[in-house]
Amino acid sequence: MELFKPDFGLVFWMFVSFVVLFVILWKWGWPAILKGVSSRADLIDKGVEYAQSAKQQLDNARDEAAKILEEARRQQADSLREADKMKTQIIEEARDAAQQEARKVMDAAKVSIEQERKQAELQFRNEVSTFALEIAGKVVRGQMTDQKAQAKLVDSLLDEMEKQN
Amino acid sequence: MKHAMNIFQRLMLSLIAISFAVCPAMASEEAANAGEDKSIDPKEIIFDHLGDAYGWEVPFNHHVRIPLPVIVWGSKGLHVFSSANVEHGATYNHPDGTSYRIAGEDSDYKGKVVEIINGEEHRPTDLSITKNVFAVFISVFVCLWLILGLAAFHKKENGHKAPRKFTGAVESLVSFIYDGVIKPTLGVKAAKFAPYLLTVFVFIFVMNILGLIVVFPGGANLTGNIAVTMTLAICTFIFTNLFATKHYWKEILWPDVPIWLKCPLPIMQVIEIFGIFTKPAALTVRLFANMMGGHMIVLVLTLLIFIFAAIGGAAVGGATVIVSVLFSVFMLLIDVLVSFIQAYVFTMLSTIFIALAQEEGHHEKGAHADIEA
Repeated sequence: MELFKPDFGLVFWMFVSFVVLFVILWKWGWPAILKGVSSRADLIDKGVEYAQSAKQQLDNARDEAAKILEEARRQQADSLREADKMKTQIIEEARDAAQQEARKVMDAAKVSIEQERKQAELQFRNEVSTFALEIAGKVVRGQMTDQKAQAKLVDSLLDEMEKQN
Repeated sequence: MKHAMNIFQRLMLSLIAISFAVCPAMASEEAANAGEDKSIDPKEIIFDHLGDAYGWEVPFNHHVRIPLPVIVWGSKGLHVFSSANVEHGATYNHPDGTSYRIAGEDSDYKGKVVEIINGEEHRPTDLSITKNVFAVFISVFVCLWLILGLAAFHKKENGHKAPRKFTGAVESLVSFIYDGVIKPTLGVKAAKFAPYLLTVFVFIFVMNILGLIVVFPGGANLTGNIAVTMTLAICTFIFTNLFATKHYWKEILWPDVPIWLKCPLPIMQVIEIFGIFTKPAALTVRLFANMMGGHMIVLVLTLLIFIFAAIGGAAVGGATVIVSVLFSVFMLLIDVLVSFIQAYVFTMLSTIFIALAQEEGHHEKGAHADIEA
């Protein structure tokens, strides 16, 4: 049967055609396609890698930012605490200083009051003695003519009073 | 859904209508062509359609054929003439005194161009561009168009863009074979053999599909012709054995079997050498038989119409038309699938045969390691 007997002409042309087709595609067809496909695959791989590293970097940056924020918050809290402490300290110191100052003022006042009092006392004594002398003089004038004897008597009396005090 | 049903129904109706309109005309022509007695010879028609011819038929006409060049090397050297000169039993008389005709029914060279010398038929060396040869050329051009188009795209874009639409479909087909068959089987040697294997795949696929198109650029039963499949199988045979490793030849000439199987009587060697040749033979027959079978089933289904019409008249013939056309359409759709599968199988088997001849004897090293251990 013809169908099962390979025909020489057809085998010949088939072989020639196939070789021509193969050579053309081998030279200008397949290498370009396979190279294009593989370079595209490389490009996609690179793209995915890039995207992954970008995501990684973004995650890192986010972590970093969170860390920095946390740090800042901590520092803020620290400085607030510090400020608070300092405020208390300053107030304390001011109070101390004020108290000291007040005490000093009070002491000074006390001293001056004492002095005043002493002066006043002295003055008062002098005045009292003068008054007393005048009174006594008026009283005793009648009784005593000798002024010297009278004054001596009064002085001695006043000394006694002072000693009693 | 309703819309789809409408289209489907309309399609079916028009299909049936066309079948009724066309088939009686075809039937009458077939009958007229088959002879005066109006009986049809299914075997003759089937093998006529499956075989080669010097001209290319046009649809709905058995007398006009597209003429193709007849190239013969006869008793007086090379002769080239149009096939129109020898159509319908005509004899072509060359000016130098030689005459050629297509041998008749009862000749040994039935259907082939013969030279008539002293009233006897002699077969010259025939390198005619027959229908099948011309179909091979068309297939080559289609392959070049498909693949060089894709290559041009890749050269232009250099991997920065993926092809769309038709070019994308071609690329996915190529990638399917390269990434799915060639690379996993051949590994590092994939790039070396990929051009051959991919060419084989695309060429067979294009020939298969063109064979299913019933009118002019297609319709030649190429891959269902043993010459075509044999040539392809021989190419695989050449590639397998030309690039084979030493290990492959050692396994054939001195295989790793008990000595009595190979020494006084070279039993294993005979089997192995036989195996070298059975591989391309299997390739040849597998593709040939599958594709020819597909074509034959469609032809038989069509012929059933005329056979039943001849037996039971117009009514039975008409009923057969519906059944036959539906089955033919179904079979042709399956043949589209088979076209792909057979191209795939041929490529896959070629890849495996080449890969088997590329082994570097890892087993031996492994065995030694086991013994040492």
